[in-house]
Amino acid sequence: MTAQPLLVISDLHKQFGGVAAVDGASMVVPEGAIVGLIGPNGAGKSSVIDLVSGFTRADRGSVLFDGVELLGRRPDEISRMGLVRTFQSPREWGSLTVMDNVLLGGCRWARESIRRTITSAGRLRREEHADRETVRDILDRFGLTAVKDVPAGRLSGGQKRLLEFARIAAASPRLVILDEPMGGVNPVLGERIGSAILDFAHRGSTVVVVEHNLPFIEHTCGVVVVMDLGAVIAEGPFSSLRQDARVVDAYLGSEDPHV
Amino acid sequence: MAYWVTILTECCIFGILALGLNMVWGWSGDFDLAFYGYMALGTYTTMVVTIGKPLPPVEYVLGWQIPFLAAIPVAMVVVVAFAAIIGAIALRNLREIYFAITTLGAISALYLVVQNYTPLFNGFNGLFGLVNPGADLLHLDYHSYRNFLLGFCAAILLVVYLFAQRVSTSPFGRMLRAVRDDERAAAVYGRNIFWAKYRAYLMGASLAGLAGALFAVYLGAFNPSAWAPQEILVLYAAILVGGRGNPRGVVLGVFAVYIGFVELTRYLPTIDSRPEFAPAFRQILIGLLIILMLRFRPQGILPDRPRLDPDGPVRRGGPIVAMLRRRTDPRAVRHGSQAPTPSGDPAFGQATGASPDAPAGTGALRPGTSEAAG
Repeated sequence: MTAQPLLVISDLHKQFGGVAAVDGASMVVPEGAIVGLIGPNGAGKSSVIDLVSGFTRADRGSVLFDGVELLGRRPDEISRMGLVRTFQSPREWGSLTVMDNVLLGGCRWARESIRRTITSAGRLRREEHADRETVRDILDRFGLTAVKDVPAGRLSGGQKRLLEFARIAAASPRLVILDEPMGGVNPVLGERIGSAILDFAHRGSTVVVVEHNLPFIEHTCGVVVVMDLGAVIAEGPFSSLRQDARVVDAYLGSEDPHV
Repeated sequence: MAYWVTILTECCIFGILALGLNMVWGWSGDFDLAFYGYMALGTYTTMVVTIGKPLPPVEYVLGWQIPFLAAIPVAMVVVVAFAAIIGAIALRNLREIYFAITTLGAISALYLVVQNYTPLFNGFNGLFGLVNPGADLLHLDYHSYRNFLLGFCAAILLVVYLFAQRVSTSPFGRMLRAVRDDERAAAVYGRNIFWAKYRAYLMGASLAGLAGALFAVYLGAFNPSAWAPQEILVLYAAILVGGRGNPRGVVLGVFAVYIGFVELTRYLPTIDSRPEFAPAFRQILIGLLIILMLRFRPQGILPDRPRLDPDGPVRRGGPIVAMLRRRTDPRAVRHGSQAPTPSGDPAFGQATGASPDAPAGTGALRPGTSEAAG
């Protein structure tokens, strides 16, 4: 675990009304790692994700992504730097086909200029044609080929999860932050999502995953960060956390950490 | 005959306007109530740059006398500039009903200023004097000029339609719909939401300016009674009837609704003591039409279908062609059906030859590479 830090969060603060949702959180995400972020409901995990990805504005603190400050930037700027996140429920573009959803995930912004739309429609079509080949592979990997022409809004909940992962695969970001990817997911699909996460890491993405499924966290994540009351209370391999009295009190419980 | 020429000319002009509004409401999903006012601004601008110096007591700004064809781009630029201000305020953080209210406020303000501040566009009495520009040059009398104007407007509608169709099927059009469907997801994948909506808004506004310029020639005179803010509802009704988002549907909807209303209201009894009866009845019908469409067919006659994979099974032609093909070619049952088959498409087996574990060039789609600068 001597890899370069990709994401360094230090002393992050955010108040909503009088409530300190994030209260001095600090953590380091090493490049290439799969980091689990756990903690009880209301610990501030999702708030941290919103702050890092630019959807809410931090009160103070610092978030360095590969040495560059993220705070104060718009979500789309942060995304273009190579950081993609998910939300607790899948957010597909309902009226577009599954194929178009994944194509858009590929983030070819330059193609969306009005000038090129007017002057070089044919060239855009050829470029898209090439991208579709890549997208086909991705759809294949996630078992979505059969529904490629279906509007994403009509997919089942599980297929929407898979589509979310297919989009991330198309974007191939440096850092992906997953907010409860297994929420409300059946075990078979859970396994598929688990292997997709390993696959992201395998292909060079760094992964941060918020999850309540502790066996999964134990299995997949080399480093686990525990949050409570808006701050990080422990950081380390899962096995070491079981011995940490504060973590046991706040989250794991003393009886059986697997419940 | 002259009657139909008039109606069809009006349909062409409103078709251009509706195609512009469709970029804003159909694709970006912003319910803009100021749009009719943008056309009016285009009409006023065209007037004041073509009809020459004002003679007292008439007063208005500019008073240039440039050829009508040169006035068209001027009108478009002025409208886009005005929309750029409104859009910069309304599109940044406001959505849905808040956006609609803001644009309604903007257009009401413009309406009141134009009506009451006489030095701008001669107030309530309005402007006149743009009589058949180019008629002498083309040696056209009044009637043939009307026919010529219809052809001119129809040609411009065709060009605008082809343009809208191109944008609709382009990556830009797809991105706008993604922003409409889920803004946050679009931001997560690197799209600047404001910039996307803003560009669509200005593109739509430029078409409103174009429609306004043609409207100026069509009417010859223009005053505030010609563009009450609620007129926008007819456009929304037309887009709803035709198919929100689909340029073909929008044009169809405009022709159906405008011709339908003109024909319907022709048979209305006129009450001499109540001249306001017919226009009021028209408004009621428009409201009724919107409610019925939303209740029974919100997607319209020609819905904005998602773009199917063009590299997949060949699927040329519209629904009728697909139906015929299904009848005649047994293989087409498999290829022509739009529903997904659980067995998957045979065409894909060949296309996805690469093994799932191969790097498969996913890196080519990686953000932050060469195209990110654009």
